[in-house]
Amino acid sequence: MVHETPILEARDLRKTYRLGRARVPVLRGADLAVARGEFVAVLGASGSGKSTLLHLLGGLDRPDGADADSGVFFEGQNLARFSESALNAYRRRSVGFVFQFYHLLPELTVLENVMLGAMVGRGRLGYLRERAAVRAGASELLDALGIGRLSHRRPRALSGGERQRAAIARALVNHPPVLLADEPTGNLDRATGAVILDSLAEVRDRLGQTIVMVTHDPAIADRADRAVEIVDGVVRRHAGVI
Amino acid sequence: MYQSLLTRRYLTSRVMPLLAALAVMLCTAMVLIVWSVMSGFLASLLASGRTMMGDAAVTWPVSGIPHYEDLMSRLEAEPEIATTTPTIETLALVGLPDGEPRIWRLIGVDGESYDRVTAYRDTIWWKPIDRPLPKDRERLDPRLTIGGEYLAHALTLTEPDPATGAPRPAVVPGLWATGYNQRAPGGVAIPRFRFMPDEEVTISVLPISQRGAAIDVKARRFPIANEFQTGLYEVDANTALIRLDAVQEMLGMDAAERVTGFDPFSVDGAGDRFVEPEPAGVDPARVTTVMVRAAEGFTPEEARAAAQRAYAGFAAAHGPGVPDPSFVRIYTWQERDGVRTFIAAVKKEIALTVTLFGFISLTAVFLVFAIFWSMVSDKVKDIGILRALGASRPGVAWLFLRYGAVVGLVGSALGGAAAWVIVTNINPIHDWLGAALGITVWDPSIYYFPEIPSRVDPAAAALVLAGGVAFSVVGALAPAIKAARLDPVRALRYE
Repeated sequence: MVHETPILEARDLRKTYRLGRARVPVLRGADLAVARGEFVAVLGASGSGKSTLLHLLGGLDRPDGADADSGVFFEGQNLARFSESALNAYRRRSVGFVFQFYHLLPELTVLENVMLGAMVGRGRLGYLRERAAVRAGASELLDALGIGRLSHRRPRALSGGERQRAAIARALVNHPPVLLADEPTGNLDRATGAVILDSLAEVRDRLGQTIVMVTHDPAIADRADRAVEIVDGVVRRHAGVI
Repeated sequence: MYQSLLTRRYLTSRVMPLLAALAVMLCTAMVLIVWSVMSGFLASLLASGRTMMGDAAVTWPVSGIPHYEDLMSRLEAEPEIATTTPTIETLALVGLPDGEPRIWRLIGVDGESYDRVTAYRDTIWWKPIDRPLPKDRERLDPRLTIGGEYLAHALTLTEPDPATGAPRPAVVPGLWATGYNQRAPGGVAIPRFRFMPDEEVTISVLPISQRGAAIDVKARRFPIANEFQTGLYEVDANTALIRLDAVQEMLGMDAAERVTGFDPFSVDGAGDRFVEPEPAGVDPARVTTVMVRAAEGFTPEEARAAAQRAYAGFAAAHGPGVPDPSFVRIYTWQERDGVRTFIAAVKKEIALTVTLFGFISLTAVFLVFAIFWSMVSDKVKDIGILRALGASRPGVAWLFLRYGAVVGLVGSALGGAAAWVIVTNINPIHDWLGAALGITVWDPSIYYFPEIPSRVDPAAAALVLAGGVAFSVVGALAPAIKAARLDPVRALRYE
């Protein structure tokens, strides 16, 4: 299943944040190569830079001092060379985000939240042409994740696990090759978290999705093909990898 | 596409945008109401002025224009002119039946032709009506019971002599010129103490020589044939119409025999008889003004140009016996003394008032700005999610601009509807305020018209409504830029 050429790669990734007058280096040359179809868990203590790494991989943020040989590479292309609109398109088509707190829009129904991912970046005409297919795809995803019956409810009427499955469906609606999950079980009890992990694993198995999941829990990381750990701003192989 | 969905949902699920829409509604309604009332005032002014004056006029005051019948024929031969009427205008001291003196602007008219040039027939008040006015529930209006003779008398400006039955010249004053009528609720004029068409007044005029000197006061009693109402309070309270030949005679402007050789000390050869003067012809009757009504499809300005042409021919035909074309005044009704200045002043006042209220409406921009700024702060996480899903910065800005436009559209539509309801019921609302709270804003003696006029100009309304949308979009601009510039990572981490 694991492909030899990395679909997503971080090379000498550096990121420093300002905290008042102080500069706080979070990533100090992180390297990570993720093969196509691979499920990688990124472990680390709170504040170690896990989420920062995920944001950089997903093109939500830009690394410091990226050049031709450093930065984030998607299918061999350096995101640093992407224009703003190309980066938007990358987030739209190539990656899907799943967040710890679901981040569903409360005004929309579950189905609309999922379809929102398909609406972004499409013009009115383009969307109207494909609306039926988008709706069918979104419904299919919700069915596959076991919450199809809840598609017309608002997020507030759902449990945490159901919300997270809705968020996974939204991340997958454009069929991105990479899924980036930031503590997807961090806000759930262990049993519900296990269901979410099963869902992610099933998605990977069914769709051949590449998954990079950030977690602070080694037990959850055990569900991945491989686990790495961020320590002192660099990525290390995690000792307890399966 | 997502902007459309989110705009709909944000609009219907939150109170804040409705408050912004309410601000826009109040501002658009306020500007529309003010503009409509001011425009209505101007429109009523223009309509009433034209009602009394026709489209254009040829005037030579004091000594008047002789051979005016020929002038009228020449004017009516012009294709731009439909018809004409001769008038004389002068000031009169009037003694009312109870002895109270008044000063009226007295206009001598030929009823039949005056009606053709102006809308005189429509302004005549005492004529039979079939049904009471909508608010005259108690059927107080005397017009429900009077006969048609009052209308006939008004049109001819005559009353039959009680002794002989022969017609005699009569006067038709404005409805509020005597003070004997009072306005009952619903626009009904109720005579108090006296019913004027059954009364007589004494009219005194002062003939003026060609050099401007007063000659002698002429006074005469006239029956009142009827009363008129143009709707222009100033006219209805100070003007009276009188039969043309009567006022010509009083002012010495009627046709008269011209004589030569008159010497009061000359006697014949026998010394027992004065020498009779030799007849030398007839001085024609004169009028001070010939009013003109433009033919269908021609403007007052075109009628005026035609009148200038016609007068040039008239002057050439009669030579020095008629006023020189260089000095005679030929003007449209809007160019009449005082009217042009007054209309220009009203137009400027409208522009000034609307501009001021427009500036006041800028508060809507700040309200929308404040509300949208707060909403963007409230929606930081949503913005982060949208950016994570691949939404561009301009796309996020457009979401809030579009939202602002929709809020403006809703506010403007509601404001337009509110303004429509208020403007179309402004007089009942005013009456109610007067009855319930004792507030009387509209005093007809100050504002010319007995009721608050209003006119909704569709173009002006469209401009105000579009302005409401534009103000809303302008108010949403800075919050939209703020939303677009939000760092998506910070937005997602925002608590």
